[in-house]
Amino acid sequence: MTASVTAGGKPRSAIPVLRVGDTLLVTVQIELHDAVADAFQEDLLVTIEKTGARGLIIDITGLDMVDSYVARVLADTGRMARLMGTDTVLVGMRPEVAATLVRMGYGMEGVRTALNVDEGLGLLHTLQG
Amino acid sequence: MTTQVMAQRELQIRCEDDIVLVRQAVRVMAQQLGFDAFATAAVTTAASELARNVWTHAGGGSALLEEIRLAGRRGVRMHFRDQGPGIADLGRALAGGFSTARSLGLGLSGSKRLVDEFNVESTVGKGTVVVVAKWARFSSTTG
Amino acid sequence: MAVDYMSLLKLDERELAQRRAFFEITDEDLARVAKLRDFAARHGDAIVDDLYQLILGHADSRAFFADETMVRRVKSMQKQYFLGLFAGNCDLRYVQDRLRVGASHERIGLEPKWYLGAYGRYLRLLLDRLFTDFPAAEAQAAFRSLSKLVAFDTALAMDTYIAANLDTVARHQAAIRELSTPVIRVYDRVLLLPLVGTVDTHRAQQIMETLLLRTVEDQAKAIIVDIAGVPVVDTKVADHLLKTTAAVRMLGAVTIITGISAQVARTMVQLGVDLSSIETRARLADGIELALAKVGRVIAVKA
Repeated sequence: MTASVTAGGKPRSAIPVLRVGDTLLVTVQIELHDAVADAFQEDLLVTIEKTGARGLIIDITGLDMVDSYVARVLADTGRMARLMGTDTVLVGMRPEVAATLVRMGYGMEGVRTALNVDEGLGLLHTLQG
Repeated sequence: MTTQVMAQRELQIRCEDDIVLVRQAVRVMAQQLGFDAFATAAVTTAASELARNVWTHAGGGSALLEEIRLAGRRGVRMHFRDQGPGIADLGRALAGGFSTARSLGLGLSGSKRLVDEFNVESTVGKGTVVVVAKWARFSSTTG
Repeated sequence: MAVDYMSLLKLDERELAQRRAFFEITDEDLARVAKLRDFAARHGDAIVDDLYQLILGHADSRAFFADETMVRRVKSMQKQYFLGLFAGNCDLRYVQDRLRVGASHERIGLEPKWYLGAYGRYLRLLLDRLFTDFPAAEAQAAFRSLSKLVAFDTALAMDTYIAANLDTVARHQAAIRELSTPVIRVYDRVLLLPLVGTVDTHRAQQIMETLLLRTVEDQAKAIIVDIAGVPVVDTKVADHLLKTTAAVRMLGAVTIITGISAQVARTMVQLGVDLSSIETRARLADGIELALAKVGRVIAVKA
């Protein structure tokens, strides 16, 4: 499996997007400030447009807090990607993050999820079968 | 017995990045008080929601963070103050699914569900004060 | 394991100053009691003996003291405690010393009523002897100073008692929590939580947190929650189940609810609870079969 950093200008969000075959993999490791979250979304969509990737995996193992703003950016990104023909899987959500979102009344409905990157790749494979 | 304030810190919310500073300060405070991962995530998220409310609805304000103690229990209390337009229909704002700005409308109702104590006072044209508290769960002190 | 009550009660210089101010203990008080050291030495043994006549004279309080050796030991401790009152210091070391006394009584399970009763006797014993040994005005002033210190000590003893009990409650709660959410690994990446008993908000939260932690720990793909042992399944319980399912789903796993009886099914529909987003089964066996299918396994009849 080869991975390469996607070409196409400097990503404004400074969150690297890796391309593995026709799947994009992003690992969010820094806290998503509001402005960074917006830039992150835009970067991803532009990369999808340029690469024609069919799958997108967003790994949020590194996030110990996801508030409603970030949750919406993540869910919206998935919906936008879908419009462009790309399936999105959100992977690695932490237990405390899931519990907090649910208590707030937010269930990330319509967003595909998997336990880890491997599972996410498997799920994309099934979807695109 | 009355609630004792052991330490306090005031932060101004003047730009979007200040929201991050507020939640980072709350996270550190919660961890120092021995909050577990779930309680830390809950109080940090509530801080983020309420700080963002101050920013998006009023264009700025302040967050007063307090380390509190009552009958041997420790907790975090946060006061979010702004001089914004105020909330005309508090009942509706607290019921959720209602927002006059961006985000999910989960700001007030969502953070209310994450904390142990929640109080909001709002006067149209004058501003809003939201005070919330979250207590550390009873956890064994000796291991 | 010794509990550090000083830090548990956050007894630092600031707290000490606050307490001293509230109990109105002044430097004059401390100087006054320090001058009574001879008095204390004179009466110490008699007062301690008298105090233990009270404690040992009642079957319930006597029960805390196993034998003569123990009585001798606590009496000598009590004497030290008594002399400590006249040390003329009310600093952190004094507090630490006082807390030790409180903690040792708490350890043997002596209840507050025995403490308070004994403290009352203390004051009366002191009062009588002060008025015998000194002129009235002097005795009164001395008694006022001593009673402040005794009240200060009583508060410390009570605080120790309460803190120790909260600590015990915390341990019990942790133990009960573990007992009440026994998550069983049925197969690789398949977990089972048999729920027994009432599910209130507090417990529901515990269940959710335990399940989420275990899901990530075991990288479980399917989690079976069997509710056959839950006596009442109402809208509140259903709401908790829906929330837990939603949270587990966000992690990337599936929840299967089993043990749904005909009665529960009827109630859910009549209450208008929509459980259609959850995979449900009447029998646990069917739930296990469904869960195994999620990890690519089947239960087959042996050929």
